[in-house]
Amino acid sequence: MDQFLQQVISGIASGSLFAILALAVVLIYRSTNVLNFAQGEMAMFTTFIAWSFMTRMDFWPAFFLALLVAAALGAVLERLILRRVEEAPVLNAVIVTLGLFTVFNSLALWRWGALPKGFGPFSVFKGAPLCAGDVCIGQLKVGILVVAVIIMVLMFLLFQRTRLGLAMRATAQNRTASRLVGIPVGQMLSIGWGLSAAVGAVAGVLVAQDSGLTTGTLMPILIFAFAAAVLGGLDSPVGAVVGGLTIGVVKNLAGTYVPSYVGNVDLTVAFLVIVLVLMVRPTGLFGQRAIRRV
Amino acid sequence: MIAGLSRSRVLGFALLAIFLMIFPFLHSWPGIGQLISEFRTFNATMFAVWLLVVLSMNLLTGYSGQISLGHAAVVLVGAYTAAVLFDQFGVPLALAVPIAGLFTGVVGGVIIGVPAVRLTGPYLAIATFSLIITMPQILKLNGLDNWTNGPLGIRIREVQPPGFLEGFLDQGQWLYYVVMVTAVVMTVCAWALTQSRVGRAFVALRESEVAATAMGINVPLHKALAFGISSFYAGIAGGLFFMVRAFVAPESLGFLDSILFLVAIVIGGLATILGSIFGALFLTFQSELISNLANVIPQAEDLRGVIYGSLLIVVMIFFPRGLAGFVRGLPGWSPTLGGPHSGVVAALARLIRPGHGTDSGAGRSD
Repeated sequence: MDQFLQQVISGIASGSLFAILALAVVLIYRSTNVLNFAQGEMAMFTTFIAWSFMTRMDFWPAFFLALLVAAALGAVLERLILRRVEEAPVLNAVIVTLGLFTVFNSLALWRWGALPKGFGPFSVFKGAPLCAGDVCIGQLKVGILVVAVIIMVLMFLLFQRTRLGLAMRATAQNRTASRLVGIPVGQMLSIGWGLSAAVGAVAGVLVAQDSGLTTGTLMPILIFAFAAAVLGGLDSPVGAVVGGLTIGVVKNLAGTYVPSYVGNVDLTVAFLVIVLVLMVRPTGLFGQRAIRRV
Repeated sequence: MIAGLSRSRVLGFALLAIFLMIFPFLHSWPGIGQLISEFRTFNATMFAVWLLVVLSMNLLTGYSGQISLGHAAVVLVGAYTAAVLFDQFGVPLALAVPIAGLFTGVVGGVIIGVPAVRLTGPYLAIATFSLIITMPQILKLNGLDNWTNGPLGIRIREVQPPGFLEGFLDQGQWLYYVVMVTAVVMTVCAWALTQSRVGRAFVALRESEVAATAMGINVPLHKALAFGISSFYAGIAGGLFFMVRAFVAPESLGFLDSILFLVAIVIGGLATILGSIFGALFLTFQSELISNLANVIPQAEDLRGVIYGSLLIVVMIFFPRGLAGFVRGLPGWSPTLGGPHSGVVAALARLIRPGHGTDSGAGRSD
């Protein structure tokens, strides 16, 4: 029983990494209705920027400076590139984000190389793991989970309780109508991209403290974060967190309990669960069903 | 079908056929040898393999409007099916490759096509995406590795021409003819398909599922059919891929290849056969182009991803209908085959962002 509990807790711990990145994916989908395939790579890129700041100054100033850079980067990308395909059909925008994906991936590898960058000394959540009986969880993971929940709540408040959030949702749903009621659509899209890039940077910095900062180690986490956002429903912050944790737990349990003679199946089982869930709920666990008027 | 072709077009196709027939011998002709090296025969063979892959993608994504990020996995399964049949069961490749196509066709139609009836846009993308992520793990499973040889993959002796052709054709030329003939026949079939009732149903599906249903098209059936036919093409391509390389491993094709396939149909031009040909040319020469660029700009090799990505962005912004759309826009191009469908991208967009097409008064319940 203890082993099972420990595996669930470890699953939640690694799931928190997926959850926090998934939030950035949801944020941009919610505010621009584009699935940004470059989200993870942008997060990785800005994390490298944060790292290079941190080699020159203290953690906190470097961290906030990196957030600013990330937000600016997101807004500039939207203004210079995404804006040009804004009037075009959305597939164009999605393909452009796939282009950005490869650009950032390759730039990061070229500029910072494949060797891991130490992120340890900057860790804010150092200390012994928290234990209850034999079941333990690292403080960093708890910290990441807490930050993920905080971001989730902030996102919920932004979208549901502020005029800005309302305007952003309106922009995502129907640009023409939004313009007609006086919403500055372009600004809303820039803000969406900027905010989402900043959330991605927070996620990247936290994840890198756990997994180290290399293009290689971040990649699997990015993939699962994406899957988590889809599993939870692309327009739901709660879904992103629940999806991330679910994938973490399923992956961990499959890794532990599927007998070793079958082979390594954690990835397969995790994605099988995602596809099965999508079969029952085609827009994810918490996603809204899109209903179209013809 | 022939009736719709003008005389100049028939002449053009005849010249193309002759060119393709003599191509693998050109390098030994005096004068031409300097221009076309023997290695180009291999290029042309790979071009034919990629052509089938791009056609497969285009039938699915371009014509039918179903996005797939997992197509490399289908090609990989095709390659493995042919490899296992040949390596473990002694089935001759001439039989193993078609069986591989049928296998992936049925499996793709049922296992991907049926779920796809329920999933749209990003959700379909991630479901197909999961295929390519999990495929290496599945191929290495302990139960299967007696057949698949685990992470090492399957390597066979290079395919040799049959005895009666010895002396006429070398190994590269034989492969070229086998693969090229298959590709040409299947390209013609794909073109015929797009002109047929089923092909028009695919386009209707892409433009609007609701309208298609209203016109009496069986939408689930045609979706499954689109996935099935597309997977059949991908499976044949996979079998030929294995035959040409004489090797396949779990990591032979991965997620980046899936993206590259998507790049190829976009750069070539969605929902056109001509665009598929451009796309296959891109897949064939992309790596060589970048290597040549590296001679001029030393960083080019490292910045490969930056180049692809920027290319994708530039094409999407300035030539959203791809090279085929660009060529057809040139003065003097006769529009007999019908221009690219302007609604293609719009329809795809509705899939990616369901309920938010640019041209419909779509709304969403809140």
